Amino acid sequence: MKADQVSPLFWLTFGLVSAFGSIKLGLGTFREPGPGLLAFLASSFICLMALVVLFQSLFLKRGFLNKLSTLWEGASWRRPLAIGVILIAYIFSLERGGFLLTSLIMLFIILKLVEKLSWTRTIVISLSISVGTFLLFNKILKTTLPRGLFGF
Amino acid sequence: MEFFNNLMVGFSVIFQPLNLFFCFLGVFIGTLIGVLPGIGPVGTMAILLPITYGIPPTTAIILLAGIYYGAQYGGSTTSILVNIPGEAASVITCLDGYQMALQGRAGPALGIAAFGSFIAGTFSVIALQAIAPPLVRVALSFGPPEYFSLMVLGLVILTYLAQKSMAKALMMAGVGLLLGTVGLDTMTGQPRFAFDIPELLDGIGLVPLVMGLFGISEVFLNVEKVVQREVIAAKITRLLPSLQDWAESKWAIARGSVIGFFLGVIPGGGAVLGSLVSYAIEKRVSKNPEKFGKGAIEGVAAPESANNSAAGGAFIPLLTLGIPANVVMAILIGALMIHGITPGPMLLKEHPDLFWGVIASMYVGNAMLLVLNLPLIGLWVQLLRVPYSILFPLILFFCLVGSYAVNNSIIDVALMLLFGLIGYLMRKFEYEPAPLVLAFVLSPIMEQALRQSLILSGGSFGIFLNRPISLGCLLMAIFLLVLSFISFLKVRIKEKED
Repeated sequence: MKADQVSPLFWLTFGLVSAFGSIKLGLGTFREPGPGLLAFLASSFICLMALVVLFQSLFLKRGFLNKLSTLWEGASWRRPLAIGVILIAYIFSLERGGFLLTSLIMLFIILKLVEKLSWTRTIVISLSISVGTFLLFNKILKTTLPRGLFGF
Repeated sequence: MEFFNNLMVGFSVIFQPLNLFFCFLGVFIGTLIGVLPGIGPVGTMAILLPITYGIPPTTAIILLAGIYYGAQYGGSTTSILVNIPGEAASVITCLDGYQMALQGRAGPALGIAAFGSFIAGTFSVIALQAIAPPLVRVALSFGPPEYFSLMVLGLVILTYLAQKSMAKALMMAGVGLLLGTVGLDTMTGQPRFAFDIPELLDGIGLVPLVMGLFGISEVFLNVEKVVQREVIAAKITRLLPSLQDWAESKWAIARGSVIGFFLGVIPGGGAVLGSLVSYAIEKRVSKNPEKFGKGAIEGVAAPESANNSAAGGAFIPLLTLGIPANVVMAILIGALMIHGITPGPMLLKEHPDLFWGVIASMYVGNAMLLVLNLPLIGLWVQLLRVPYSILFPLILFFCLVGSYAVNNSIIDVALMLLFGLIGYLMRKFEYEPAPLVLAFVLSPIMEQALRQSLILSGGSFGIFLNRPISLGCLLMAIFLLVLSFISFLKVRIKEKED
């Protein structure tokens, strides 16, 4: 299946679900528009444009994306995926572990396992970035950061 | 006389030590991120938005504006020396800038880019100062229907100028409008699409959205491939362009300044378009068009002048109408609103110090940039040698801390990651994020204008057609849509013939 047939199908579904949600919010009347009116107009417009892209990809030969697999040709999808998973784990542990400790561990994992840097570089970079950003935001700019179980 | 009085008000604001410091900080950071590929002015401004909470609004806007026009200066350095544009508006500079560097003329290329940027930047500030007050008087006569139609036109222009498919760009504008409705309805107080998450009752934050779509997605895209950057190793000498260089570039700078400014004013236009159009025009009017792409100095001077001039022009719709011309201006609107200031025609009357202070800061900032760019070129070149494996964790960190700091909410961080993933897939599938963000910012203003217009007219859509300015905007929008449809039909017919 072509990439430009998959993506409009996604947006078409998204538009339809949103349009249904907007109707539930209440469209009101033109004299007294309700809270769902703009959302409904936007959702309908998304559906319309999704259909346009879908038809264009069906009837036009040039200027459209080919097979899904070609989108990742010559690129490693594993690295963004790994970073994404690490970030999800980071978000879940940030408030319990505290900013400094969680950040240090996250950076260490990214630099050592994903970027495959040497031990020395990994330790120096992860320490300097996590401590540096903590000092900049928490101490200098007085931004509140999660303190976690250990208080930092 | 009024011109100079206003300028004096502005200079009295910018020469306060705090404002002067933040102006310098802004242009310095702007140059820095312009030089470093992988993070543009949009991401940086979003990251630094939380920092501006603790400083006065005028100082905050001076800082953010400095980052924007500073990035236009810095972007040329990477285009010329590495053949990788530091940001989108410098893409076209690669063509001749890098060729000049290969021929041993990196110095004059960097020099003319800096001087051209300074001249164009100063021109755009003078034009902004001259045009803004009369436009404010016109804008005061705007009612909800005019605002609504103008915003429709802005969105259509932005999508018309989309580099890929216009239908996809329009779809993204629809998604932006929809996302902008999340949260409590301002008229009825009813929650919309909040899914019982208390943090969503205030709506989706601009910072997590922009950081995700521009910052995190950029990181995902960049880590996919290992890009080798080859910095021109030879010592860069003779930055001052020769008389011959000046003679060849003077009209390119002049044309670039004017073209960039007017394309910057148009909602949806901006620095990228300005640089592309000015390069194309320069090539067309040149007596030696074959030189372009092979190291023509006009090919550096014109786009670099245009992108700086456009940065100044983009402030006109923001300061006079309260409408962002591009995503950067949308972030500035967000910054103003955080400080309780509504951008628009009343800004000049209610906050003259902010209005003229920001304009005066651009004069000072442009002079600072000239000083920063030429003598410190060696430092910027060294920065280019920083490997991406060190750079991207830093970008990630600033995004994570920035999105958390807005509301001290982990939900915002999760939203940022979600938008990062969506942004990554959008770019893979060739959907542009800019129309989404612009529509997202415009959504509450558009919704209010639409509902007020319909209430005013007793439910008749005729109100948008009865008023000349509103009608003009809508006709222009329809014209662009028809134009796009015609070009689609042409492609279809040509394909059938083949």
